[in-house]
Amino acid sequence: MHISEGVLSGQVLSAGAVIAVTGTAMGLKKIDYDQIVHVAILASAFFVASLIHINIGPAGVHLILNGILGLLLGFAAIPAILTALLLQSIFFQYGGLTALGVNVVIMAAPAVLVHYLFLPFLGRSSKLTFWAGFFAGLFSILFSCLLLGFALWFTDKHFFETSLAIIITYIPIMIIEGIITGFCVSFLLKVYPEIIPKKP
Amino acid sequence: MNTTHIKQIICLIITLTFMTPGFAHAHKVIIFAWVEDGMILSQSYFSSKRKAKNCNINVVDGKGRVVHTGKTDDQGNYSFKIPENIDSGLVLNLDAGQGHRAHWKIPENELKVIPSKGDMEKAMAVREKLEQKPSVFKIAAGICIIFLLAIFLKLLKKKRDKNSD
Repeated sequence: MHISEGVLSGQVLSAGAVIAVTGTAMGLKKIDYDQIVHVAILASAFFVASLIHINIGPAGVHLILNGILGLLLGFAAIPAILTALLLQSIFFQYGGLTALGVNVVIMAAPAVLVHYLFLPFLGRSSKLTFWAGFFAGLFSILFSCLLLGFALWFTDKHFFETSLAIIITYIPIMIIEGIITGFCVSFLLKVYPEIIPKKP
Repeated sequence: MNTTHIKQIICLIITLTFMTPGFAHAHKVIIFAWVEDGMILSQSYFSSKRKAKNCNINVVDGKGRVVHTGKTDDQGNYSFKIPENIDSGLVLNLDAGQGHRAHWKIPENELKVIPSKGDMEKAMAVREKLEQKPSVFKIAAGICIIFLLAIFLKLLKKKRDKNSD
């Protein structure tokens, strides 16, 4: 899911950086004092999740977990994702510093979106909580793929086929992330309901 | 939340932290190229050691002109004759799809001088070292940095709240 350096055009990279900085500022402003520990735990999970690699087709894909971050953190997911991606870029050379802004937008924007779409369904019943988590995980990856496709398409119209291939490659990951997010949210609601934010 | 639940969560976090490096595979793509008997030979693979099959390769000269294009075979290999009238080094760009790209530079002097097998092995070892799988130390360092930043943010917010009171 990480876009490497040298793939996207300067305009796309600049736009991504501006949106990422704005989003991070908004996220930092919205983080509650008591929420900071949750942000750190989930940012760590996001940081490690990208190392769990699944081989599908000619290239590999990895877990992302932006759905669970978005669902549980809302806007606070943006600085969490930025920190994790920055560290991945420095330690593991995933993505790259110039593509950091775009990568943050690709993973954090869907995370914030699923927060507002699915948070109202959490806690109503155990089944509804699981399915809300499932669809939050699934749609966050789907939206991330679409944003990744748009970023490539804006750079070069010939990337359209690549964008379609990315979405198809990530279908299994969408389902896996949906299941993981569903189970995690259900488990956390039972053992640690304080982590679930107040409904918007 | 009782202590049993806290213990369960701590156990889960510890297990996940130390379990994942075993499954970890970097997914960068790598290309090596060298000159032999008037030919440029290349090998491409992902850092999980899977061969980069049927991937596009284009070769550009120092002025950015594409002087050759081709595709890797089932073993991730691709070779071609050194293009004629080359007055600069060459760069082999590998495109493995989905933004997975790699390149290998062949300086102009290497196009004329045949490097020894030892030189190539040394160059490959240096590149492989850069593409190593993530170490547990780096993962732990990353998590520590995240928590240090969180503590810093917490102190900052606390100070700001005190000032506003």
